[in-house]
Amino acid sequence: MVSINYATREVSCKIVYYGPGLSGKTTNLQYVHQKVPSDTKGKLISLATDADRTLYFDFLPINIGTINGFAAKFQLYTVPGQVYYNATRKLVLRGTDGVVFVADSQPDKMDENIESLNNLKENLAEYGYSFEELPFVIQYNKQDLPGVLSMEDMRKALNPYGWPEFGASATEGFGVFDTLKCILKKVLDKAKSSSDAPQPQPAQGSGPIPTTQAPPQPMPQPQPQMPPQQTVPPPPPIQQPVQQPAYQPAYAPAAQQVQTAPPPPQQQPQYIQPQPQYEREAVPQDQQVRQTSDPQGYRPFPGNTMEDEHRMTVRSQMQTGQVQTQPEQQPHIEQNQQHSTTAPQMAPSLKAADRAEKPKKRSFFKRLFGLK
Amino acid sequence: MSDDNLIIYEEEIERIDSLLTKLLKGAEAKCALLVDKDGHLITRQGFTHSLDTTALAALLAGSFASTKEIARLVGETEFSVLFHQGKKDHIHMTIVGERSILAVIFDDRTTIGMVRLYAKETADELAKVFTTMTDRSARGDRPEVNADFAASAGNKLDDIFKD
Repeated sequence: MVSINYATREVSCKIVYYGPGLSGKTTNLQYVHQKVPSDTKGKLISLATDADRTLYFDFLPINIGTINGFAAKFQLYTVPGQVYYNATRKLVLRGTDGVVFVADSQPDKMDENIESLNNLKENLAEYGYSFEELPFVIQYNKQDLPGVLSMEDMRKALNPYGWPEFGASATEGFGVFDTLKCILKKVLDKAKSSSDAPQPQPAQGSGPIPTTQAPPQPMPQPQPQMPPQQTVPPPPPIQQPVQQPAYQPAYAPAAQQVQTAPPPPQQQPQYIQPQPQYEREAVPQDQQVRQTSDPQGYRPFPGNTMEDEHRMTVRSQMQTGQVQTQPEQQPHIEQNQQHSTTAPQMAPSLKAADRAEKPKKRSFFKRLFGLK
Repeated sequence: MSDDNLIIYEEEIERIDSLLTKLLKGAEAKCALLVDKDGHLITRQGFTHSLDTTALAALLAGSFASTKEIARLVGETEFSVLFHQGKKDHIHMTIVGERSILAVIFDDRTTIGMVRLYAKETADELAKVFTTMTDRSARGDRPEVNADFAASAGNKLDDIFKD
């Protein structure tokens, strides 16, 4: 994502050096840092392990000066190449304006190159980028070593899209600046075209890559074991912690219970019109009171359990045996449901139960004067 | 991708700078940086002369990004506030809207509570400014950078990067 700051008159772009472990990404940046004039470069920051392996990223800011009134700034990043640092790689890749893929030209590293390229494609896709859209340059590094694969072999295996490519040796220095210049120019072209076109949808396929839908043959002959368009078949264990399901098991049971509970509309009828015979069918006798009472909104309160048990027993007796109390109970429920949906469902039935169970007391005056 | 470009206009930057100045006065902090989540520095206020703000912006964004992954692993979307405590200087980071981070550097002349209070207020205000800025960018209000900017830059690149 190019940052264009009209206040400070700056255009800032982010370039990411991607590739397998030990392919020479950091060495590329170190060479650039050594050779570039001091007024052009910033400090090279390397977040590395004690063994000088990149842990998070390397960062080198480059300011090529003012061009037509705008300062052009570039931020060069590298990613950690090891397979298990994919989460970190993905973070660094966020908001990139261009990618340099640094491939290792040694024959025994070809599988790692392919795996890294597929991983790049996958990670870019997660941010909504595609190889066709993004400015992309591929560098075949370590060409100075004996016994390395030729440019032609590397091209066949890694460059089906026809990206600009450079043979290089980051330690010797040849090809490093060519790669950098190429990607910077491509990024600036892209930034300019996006600045010129105010419409949100730029012209598709306007990039320099001619084959927008190249046949899915990224790695044809040299690797018969790798099927085309394979998106990192054995997903390394690092991907699991990154993805959502990895932490789900700890929290999932509770969440799923909530989601899979019967929807309220199906339960509501039970609350509104209690049907004791339906509830009682499969419930043991001792649990029956509690079970049948629940649909009516009974919620036990701590501290008065004995009283509650007594009331519920009486109520269950009413519901099963005393048919004459039903017509009395039903209007109560219906009447209360018109006003409220929850609390009143408990109260009327209990009152009805109390009335039915308690012997009628003598009135105050009869008791006062000892009348019967 | 291209329509996601971060475009910052002069008017909005003035408003943002005034908000940051107000924050620094209120919280008595040393300096404040507004950083894009991709690592680009948007603006800064306060005593930043001794700081490598470009590198600081990239590292702050990286720190926030890694913390976001940690948040995801524990079931959060992201942590909206980060605080780094040092011996003398401390950094308080607040997320602003969708894509920016407000970092406030302060020392023991003030307190974390004051900074947090003012940073939250400022972040809310900044989020509104960013909304207007995004709307403006989406409307296609993009002043011309320059027609031959890329060509001129290419020539300059050839001069600088000579083996």
